Amino acid sequence: MAEIAQDSGGGKKGGKVRSKKMSTRIDFTPMVDLGFLLITFFMLTTTLAKPQILALVMPEKDIKKEDIEPVKESKVLTLLLGADDKVYWYEGITDAKLDSTDYSAEGVRDVILKKMDKVKEQFGLVDYKKKNKEGVEEDLQGSYINVIIKPMKTARYKNLVDALDEMAICKVRYYVILDVSPLEEEFIKNPAGGLKFSVDEQVEAATK
Amino acid sequence: MPKHKPKRSAPTIDMTAMCDVAFLLLTFFMLTAKAKPQETVIVDTPSSISETKLPDAGTLTILVGKDGKIFLDMAGSHTRMSLIDDINSRYQLGLNDKEKLVFANLGSFGVPRNRLKQYIDTEPTERAKFPTEGIPVDTADINKSELADWVHNARLAQFRMKNEGKVKEEYVIVVKADKDTPYPAVQSVINTLTDINVNKFNLITSMEGAKKEEK
Repeated sequence: MAEIAQDSGGGKKGGKVRSKKMSTRIDFTPMVDLGFLLITFFMLTTTLAKPQILALVMPEKDIKKEDIEPVKESKVLTLLLGADDKVYWYEGITDAKLDSTDYSAEGVRDVILKKMDKVKEQFGLVDYKKKNKEGVEEDLQGSYINVIIKPMKTARYKNLVDALDEMAICKVRYYVILDVSPLEEEFIKNPAGGLKFSVDEQVEAATK
Repeated sequence: MPKHKPKRSAPTIDMTAMCDVAFLLLTFFMLTAKAKPQETVIVDTPSSISETKLPDAGTLTILVGKDGKIFLDMAGSHTRMSLIDDINSRYQLGLNDKEKLVFANLGSFGVPRNRLKQYIDTEPTERAKFPTEGIPVDTADINKSELADWVHNARLAQFRMKNEGKVKEEYVIVVKADKDTPYPAVQSVINTLTDINVNKFNLITSMEGAKKEEK
């Protein structure tokens, strides 16, 4: 490929040594190769530099007690995110049974989907509209399930993101991140003792 | 008839034009590529299935390191200038115009307000060695929380700049925490934000390596 055309000259005449004339053509192919390689590199790094985000909407802090709409206990699933990538969960409040699982597809996702099925059987489905990626409104149906995510002090940030991911995967419409109450910490230490949970206290804590 | 062989020469294409184009594009991409500012804290974000990209609007980033230390970074030197003017006169930090300019072009920072002057006066090469203790947060008393104060005033500064037409959009609040950050550190940031009525914000995540199967 790379060649430098060379004049053979006019042969040797009269012993005069003529300097060989070199053509000034330079093969640009390797330079173009290099150029495009660098372009590819810069193109890829600039587009990949944009990070991904997970939008999060928290409830208002100074919400009034009257504005709180009670939900049915049987629709509620509470996930307590604990240490060492463990999830403790219980349904409802009265006679709550504590169980634990992990963040794998067979773990917490299964728990959520099973709860969704249960709620679906009891209450049917809710119709709602949601804008898809193209901005067109779609008619969707979802479960009435309410998930409460409570990361404990020992949890790490990844656990929260994982839990929020599961909400997106299972298409849970109503979920909220709350603080763990001391009663729940006690419940985890002593599951047999049952959950002595007062809703009023929780409301009090949320509206302080 | 003897076969007449045409004289064959290697087909050479003039690559000059292609080379020109290639380097023009190269220059363009090199100039548009943003130089990564020096990171004061290394944050390894957790992976998520979310595919939403960070919007182009100016961002106010709250970085939470692995050890729970909090750092702040905001886009726009106009806004930063306006912000530091405000903070400087309010808390008498004693910064001169040159130091304010340094702040306007500073990357992320994580020092308490009373040591900010000292931090700015440090040579840029020495800043990595500066003991960073993070921006203090006080979840019990929001008026004492420096993080709340910074975020609140930065948003106001951005709003002023928007009114002056120097920036187009208000800040998008972004929380960038390490995947191993203990939750209480993140919790204090979230509580601080809701305390100052920032109820909508974004968590920075990275692409999920193996995509989880959707059910």
